[in-house]
Amino acid sequence: MTSIIYALIVGVAMGALIQRVRASSPAMIAANLRLENLSIIKFMATTIAIGAILAYVLSAVLGPGVMHFDIKPTYVVGVLVGGLIFGVGFGLGGYCPGTCVVGAGEGRKDALFAVLGGVVGAFIFTIVFSSVIAPMNKLLDYGKLTLDQLLGLPAVGTAIGLGVIFLGIVYMLPTVVKKR
Amino acid sequence: MASSATQAPPAAEGSSKFPAWAKLGAIFGVVSALSILTWGPIGVSGTYPRFIGAIFRRLTPDLAHANPYLEKMGSFLRPETFLVVGLLIGGFLASKFAGDKAEAAEYIHPNETTKNKRYRDAFLGGVLIVFGARIAGGCTSGHIISGITQLSVSGLIFAAGVFATGILTAKMLHRGAQS
Repeated sequence: MTSIIYALIVGVAMGALIQRVRASSPAMIAANLRLENLSIIKFMATTIAIGAILAYVLSAVLGPGVMHFDIKPTYVVGVLVGGLIFGVGFGLGGYCPGTCVVGAGEGRKDALFAVLGGVVGAFIFTIVFSSVIAPMNKLLDYGKLTLDQLLGLPAVGTAIGLGVIFLGIVYMLPTVVKKR
Repeated sequence: MASSATQAPPAAEGSSKFPAWAKLGAIFGVVSALSILTWGPIGVSGTYPRFIGAIFRRLTPDLAHANPYLEKMGSFLRPETFLVVGLLIGGFLASKFAGDKAEAAEYIHPNETTKNKRYRDAFLGGVLIVFGARIAGGCTSGHIISGITQLSVSGLIFAAGVFATGILTAKMLHRGAQS
């Protein structure tokens, strides 16, 4: 029950942040994907950098088992194929599964069509899962694999390293890219 | 030249030292870490099939229980569902307090010449993002934000796939109409 309240509060904050940074504007997403304006990409990289450092420092301070980490399995083929299909939809509609819900809250009608499309996409998925997706997702499945395990480094050090690299890239990249 | 309708809105303003995206990104990073501390990593796309499951369990329980994916995804009554409800509320409140009036249909490609064409692109995009996200087991929030935050290799692979075809699709749809 308390988890539900925490999740609701996190959702409200996340929705407000997405709206304020204009990630719920499909034209802004399209401009980012055309690499003309990198503000949303830099926003996401900043989020990941701060989140990774804080989450793993908290984990190191509080001890093992306190943080509710939930690592998704690395089944290489399915994750990559899913990402490639997702990218086409992202470029076509300018929404992702969360930003269209935020957009709907803002009163964007095209966002409602994206949510409706998402429900249809989920329905099609439930039909083809057993026959097509489940077998594909068994290919090159490395299970719950993390970067620190892959590199053989301590988790907190890897998180700080990744965070610093991401912030460095964000600092160096321009926000508005001048057209050639 | 692209029509003015497809030009991106200006990025959110902020002070020159810390632009808005940097401040908002830093706050989101703290929120994302606190989410992992209090209940779990943020993630949105799983709520779509859980919503389908909730409807089917109500309408045709036998069919719902016979579907292995709906069984695997489980009940609609879980924290992630309330996260998505929060997104709706957060988007509403933020736009209300800021006095933003979002356009009902925001044209993003030059070939979106009518509202119906815009709605078509949003709908088809919606189908593909959720279908692709469910293959991969997560979306922008679950795989890219939460995944890479937790140092997951799957998040990095998913992000590479998304940006490869996302950039290609957005650039092609922009150029196609200009020639």
